[in-house]
Amino acid sequence: METSQSMSLLPLITNASLPVQLVMGLLLLASLLSWWFIFLKMFAIRQAREQTDAFEEAFWGNPDLARLYRDFLDERENAGSLERIFAAGYAEYVKLRKKGDMDNSAVMDGARRAMRATYQREMDDLESHLPFLATVGSVSPYVGLLGTVWGIMNAFRGLANVGQATLAHVAPGIAEALVATAMGLFAAIPAVVAYNRYAAETTRLSSRFESFMEEFSNVLQRQP
Amino acid sequence: MRAEVSNDPNRLPAGLLALLVHLLFFAALFFSFNWQMKPPQGMVVEIWDTLPLNDEPQPAPPVPEVREPIVKPKVEATPSLPPKAEIALRDTKKMAKEDRLKPEKTKAQLKAEKQAEQAERRMEELEKQAEARQQAQRKAQEQAAIVMGKVVDEYIGKIAAKIRRNIVNPPGVVKTIRAEFSVTLLPSGEVLNVALAKSSGNDVYDSAVERAILKSQPLPLPPAEQNMFSRFRDLRLKFSPAEIGQ
Repeated sequence: METSQSMSLLPLITNASLPVQLVMGLLLLASLLSWWFIFLKMFAIRQAREQTDAFEEAFWGNPDLARLYRDFLDERENAGSLERIFAAGYAEYVKLRKKGDMDNSAVMDGARRAMRATYQREMDDLESHLPFLATVGSVSPYVGLLGTVWGIMNAFRGLANVGQATLAHVAPGIAEALVATAMGLFAAIPAVVAYNRYAAETTRLSSRFESFMEEFSNVLQRQP
Repeated sequence: MRAEVSNDPNRLPAGLLALLVHLLFFAALFFSFNWQMKPPQGMVVEIWDTLPLNDEPQPAPPVPEVREPIVKPKVEATPSLPPKAEIALRDTKKMAKEDRLKPEKTKAQLKAEKQAEQAERRMEELEKQAEARQQAQRKAQEQAAIVMGKVVDEYIGKIAAKIRRNIVNPPGVVKTIRAEFSVTLLPSGEVLNVALAKSSGNDVYDSAVERAILKSQPLPLPPAEQNMFSRFRDLRLKFSPAEIGQ
């Protein structure tokens, strides 16, 4: 403590007290998980956007609904969210029409309900993990701050036993403690940025799905 | 059809990317930290260089001690090698007198020369080693002096702080004045003698400081086992009303 202390990164972490180290470990875990979800969501949302683009193009370029449905059944694994919504609506519509004894509005309502149910499920999938990112983004600065406050408390308590207080007695402890805040911010900033971005993208996708559902209902209503 | 994490085909690349981001961040942090830490170290070295200047009178005595080892190798070297050379020379003289066989002479001479050369080399080596030892010792002494200087400064600061705490500034004293006292201490920390070395111009303040010095007995001194009392026997302390007790 007395002589010149070499201040590099590793000793700052290893010399910290146990609660601070726990906080740092927690934050590292949160950061790793949030980055994992950031990349997972990035891939998932990009895929969803591409599939939606591809299906919209196929849908408006091809008036034969039955063939679109058969394509969906052939490649169920590669189907995107919008394609599944379409399939659910179309399957329900065909089933109700086969019964024959229902009037048109009841059939339309059934198809719309089926589409809405699938739409909710798809949105749930698209929005999965976003709450985790929001939590990391809002909570980890506080967790880091907790570690820092704890570390600084210890640093000042050590100061009480020293007659002549110098900055050299507290500085290492405070530096150790501040690492916790740095880690909290490191975990929080990307999580917040990613959350905002992905929330906006899923909202945009959801409005595309909704307008498609309306348009598809119209198409079904026009069916002979 | 739920996009659970366990089923997601992208979970491995995403995990690897997350690890990569962290590794990059920590690498950046590590290198920036090393880069940041250099300037403070340089400053530390500068401060240390100035400190030993005050201690030079003290480190000076040990230097002769250092020279002793240099002399010793010389003494060792001279008896062992030059005598051989002399003997060899005598041999050659004898040889020259007794036998006038030139090749033998030259052999003997060559031997003698070789031996002389070897002796010189050994001497040089020994000198070099001695110099290296001397330098190492000097360094060690300098470091010791630095540590000592630090301790001395620390305790002088403590002494001054303790006295300052006891100074009662007379009312209306000018803050910028400065009184210098030379204080003679006993190893117990008691004050043997207080002399006003340089008056502040304000007699009341001078006497207030003197009273404070006497009142602060015993003054804090480093532990006896550090053998540093010689540095504290005669102290010259400066006081100013501006620096009220901490």
